[in-house]
Amino acid sequence: MEKNIDKTSYDALVIGAGIAGGEAALNLANTGYKVLLVDKELSVGGKMIMLSKVFPTLDCSACITTPKVSEISRHSNITIFTGAQASNIRKIGEKEFTARINKQPRYVHIEDCTSCQLCEEACPVSVSDQYQYGLIGRKAAFIPFSICSPKAAAIDIENCTLCGACERACPTNCIDFTMEPEIIDIKVKTVVLATGFKLFDPLDIPRYGYGKFKNVITAMQMEREIAPTRPFNTILRPKDGKVPDKIAYVLCVGSRDASVGNPICSQICCMYSIKQAQLLMGALPMADVTIYYINIRSFGKGFEEFYQQAKGMGVNFVKGKIGRITEKENGNLILRYEDINSGKLQEEEHDMVILSTGVLPNEGISELFEGDTLGLDKFNFIGQSDALAGPSRTSIDGVFVAGTASGPMDIPDSILSAGSASSEAISYLIQHS
Amino acid sequence: MKKKKIGVYICHCGGNISDYVDVEKVRAAIADEGIVLLSKTTMFACSDSNQRDMVEDIKANDLDGVVVASCSPKLHLQTFQNVSMRADLNKYTYVHANIREQASWAHSDDKMGATEKAIHLVRAAIAKSRYAEALESTKVKAIKKVAVIGAGIAGLKAALSLSEKDCDVILIERNSVVGGHVAEFTSLSTTTETGYQIITRLYSEVLKRGNISLLTNSEVIENKGSVGNFSLKIRKITNNDNQEIIDVNVGSVLMATGFDSYTPGEGEYGYKSLENVITLVDFKKMIDSQNGKLVYNGKQIRDIVYIYCVGSRQSDGGNTYCSRNCCTSTIHASIIARHKFSDINNYHFNRGIRTYGKQEILYAESLGSGDIYLQFNEDSIPEISVNGDKAIVKINDILSANREVEVEADLVVLVGGMVPRADNSVGSLFKLPKGRDRFYNEVHMKLRPVETAIDGITIAGACQGPKNITESVNSALAAATKSYSILSKGELETSPLIAVIEEDKCSWCGACQEACPFDAIHMEEKEGRTIAQINNTVCKGCGMCAPVCKPDAINLIAYSSSEIMSMIDALA
Amino acid sequence: MGELNKKSAKILVFSTEKISDPAIDMAGLLKLHYPPTVYTISLPCSSGIKPSWILHAFERGFDGVFIAADGSDCIYGESCTEKTGHIVANTHNQMKEKEIDPARLRMAAMCSVCSESFVKQMRSFNEYLLKTREA
Repeated sequence: MEKNIDKTSYDALVIGAGIAGGEAALNLANTGYKVLLVDKELSVGGKMIMLSKVFPTLDCSACITTPKVSEISRHSNITIFTGAQASNIRKIGEKEFTARINKQPRYVHIEDCTSCQLCEEACPVSVSDQYQYGLIGRKAAFIPFSICSPKAAAIDIENCTLCGACERACPTNCIDFTMEPEIIDIKVKTVVLATGFKLFDPLDIPRYGYGKFKNVITAMQMEREIAPTRPFNTILRPKDGKVPDKIAYVLCVGSRDASVGNPICSQICCMYSIKQAQLLMGALPMADVTIYYINIRSFGKGFEEFYQQAKGMGVNFVKGKIGRITEKENGNLILRYEDINSGKLQEEEHDMVILSTGVLPNEGISELFEGDTLGLDKFNFIGQSDALAGPSRTSIDGVFVAGTASGPMDIPDSILSAGSASSEAISYLIQHS
Repeated sequence: MKKKKIGVYICHCGGNISDYVDVEKVRAAIADEGIVLLSKTTMFACSDSNQRDMVEDIKANDLDGVVVASCSPKLHLQTFQNVSMRADLNKYTYVHANIREQASWAHSDDKMGATEKAIHLVRAAIAKSRYAEALESTKVKAIKKVAVIGAGIAGLKAALSLSEKDCDVILIERNSVVGGHVAEFTSLSTTTETGYQIITRLYSEVLKRGNISLLTNSEVIENKGSVGNFSLKIRKITNNDNQEIIDVNVGSVLMATGFDSYTPGEGEYGYKSLENVITLVDFKKMIDSQNGKLVYNGKQIRDIVYIYCVGSRQSDGGNTYCSRNCCTSTIHASIIARHKFSDINNYHFNRGIRTYGKQEILYAESLGSGDIYLQFNEDSIPEISVNGDKAIVKINDILSANREVEVEADLVVLVGGMVPRADNSVGSLFKLPKGRDRFYNEVHMKLRPVETAIDGITIAGACQGPKNITESVNSALAAATKSYSILSKGELETSPLIAVIEEDKCSWCGACQEACPFDAIHMEEKEGRTIAQINNTVCKGCGMCAPVCKPDAINLIAYSSSEIMSMIDALA
Repeated sequence: MGELNKKSAKILVFSTEKISDPAIDMAGLLKLHYPPTVYTISLPCSSGIKPSWILHAFERGFDGVFIAADGSDCIYGESCTEKTGHIVANTHNQMKEKEIDPARLRMAAMCSVCSESFVKQMRSFNEYLLKTREA
């Protein structure tokens, strides 16, 4: 898995091992180039590996991601560092970049771990599970999630009490508290940025009650509830564990909203909400699902048909802007909204509300570079220096951008963008060899 | 021969299968089948950890082959063939059973039935596995040259990208000039360059490349051969309408044939029957060519109504899909009209504005500058009538409780979307499959988005479905990488799944030769007898020769009579 | 063959890997239901089916055999439609000789997105076969 640890020279550095970074790394590696793929998380696969099914085909997301992930992790031309971040990237002359990789200790020797989960059982510390978006808890000694790669335990040192229970429970002695952070200085010829996006934090819109009303959750949390690797075996609302039967989706949460600093459309929320609505109708045949929207943006291949299919299944679409959400004693929620069609203020009760949060740029990407400046666009996504004729080119020759790091896009577009970035990187490598 | 030993893996698919099919019951039902040494269920057969387990199982138990019962072989046949290979088995010893698309999902209404069917399907796969043996593929030379068909923005970019990878390109364009639709675009929303300038920039780059040959006025008229070596005949119209036929061999074909703009039917919203009704394409040319005042038919234009989704999103019509780019394109044109000419009022009769992503800024700008947006449903479309030299456009605006609104317009702009090329002769030539939207179809939107069902043929740009320029270029570069990766090693493996002749039974009647669409069979004298011979590198393994053979001397490898009959026995 | 399934007839479908299989897969994806006693054997091309296989299926107790033919979409050439048709005609003759109702073998061209058409075909074939079984 994490081979060639002492190797410091590669053809390409790919930052971010989500679907875009993985695709770009595979294209480069299949053409014969040596790739270093780094991801700050404990697993490769990015956000896609956490999803339930994908629109508009309803393929299971894990079924598409896991084979790619396993191809990446086995590829002889790809070296993977998880729990690692790149920094100090500097262009030297016309042909070379130097960079520093900061690798955080996992406190587990990956190659020896059999993911038997005995450390998880032994660990006395319980904290919120970030990979299940806080729906459930996990231990401080834990396997990130069931289909993670590398499939190995990790120690959450922030929360660990150093009691040693995991170490004693481990049958292969793979837990090692003496691991230190590693700094690896590398040389590469090209860089692909596939740093992805972050989701809008709905705590920034207090009137929706997220964080205060337990039955208001984010779409990413619902994604986990309906994923095959889901934390519960059914769909339930967090406050009382009741199976919901009147569910509302609130679209454009943190998107198309200048008041929270994000005026652009996130491009994916309409479709993922429609997808979730269809899956919920399938899982809970008696449930009502209502989607409150401003405009439905089903613009991609097969998307409009998917939207019509949802309508045909009985998903209720209401053109309305949500003003405020309040909670009743029984945990149900009252949505106050402006019905755009009638112009009137309306109220509707739901027993669970899902906020379809938008796509924001990850911060601090340009700070990874020294010397040359990596340009950003006015929304702080990575700037495209030739947006139409060379969409993956950036302000630095030899640095390319793949996927949502340059702006919101769905999975098919991210994969095409990764194809584009790797194509440019391969051309660059050939031209500069 | 020693007795065959195989392993069988039954996938839960995280519930996609196990919610409807009792996978443990399936496992138990097949565990004692003769050659099954080991049988397991697994949460995700395709996961890295299960793949590793499989390799270990194969090695530890010295298995001769494996069967995985999971999703469609279209998704994971290759995955598990690769697993077999990593365990030092030949990939053709692997057999796949599809118990998701064809059992759990198809029969989610009948769990017993689905389970029973899954058991039979796995038994049939085990039956096939008895016959599955190691096969070696033949290697053929791959020509490191790609034919790019269509020299619009996607074709030009693909050609340049391949050229940069030291791959020869023949760029074939039907028209006399390159650039396609983009060359006609004037101002663009994301840059200061015009479409024409972008095309000129790319075109001059193409001319500099020694390894790109550009053929304009040219069409592919014949295609023979297959991946690695397609033999194309190209007809080029030269001066004085003479034609020249050019033969060229390429290893891969990249299709970038683009789209047609939707032309409204006669009378559709008054098109062609009313004077002041034009298409968006014409409107864009109009605002580009005029200055100061916007004039049409000698009259100054002030009030413009744009009717969106003409020929798109028709639930009963031919085009059910959204054309993706028209909202942005229209709003952009309307903003230019407002800036460039005096006294312009824009009225947007739309069905929900879809300025996705960063394009939203244009919509916000348009709203901010006072453009009026009215919305209609498909079942209540705007009506147009004439009053003097004005067009009266009536709409029931769903944004204001279906209030009837009337606009007196000087000009009505019909916003048509993108439709597949009417002339699909080149697509038929290569037998490219089309989707429900009649655009070319990719193998899998996410796993193989630029490949087609025909090996060696990739698709780029709007011939696959509506795309804007950025999206077309991304797909063109992705397709170029794919075409390049097929050829970069200089050789390809051809499938060993071909027809074989039992020479003892054959006494040459010629029926097989007649049936073969690829000229792969010929007559041969062998040890004093006249028999049929199959050319292994030409045979494509379609099997058309097998049923016509009177003495039943022909079988297709992996689909022989004994295999098929034993599968039928297992299913019965 | 086991006990007769009362609800549904046993149907063997010969499908093709590139053309009709995707349609049958998509029927599953869309949860378009059809009788679970429909079994598919997939081949490269429908014009490679031997009449002896079809007769074997009847001998082994299948109620019906359905050829989901490539039709004009066949990747191996346009002659496929005619050749598959010829196989069906040939098999029909052999069925008559063996006193098997020729209507128990059906063929229809299935494109790669013909999911609904496939399901419709299966349901109507199933009804027909159940009716003749009673008769």
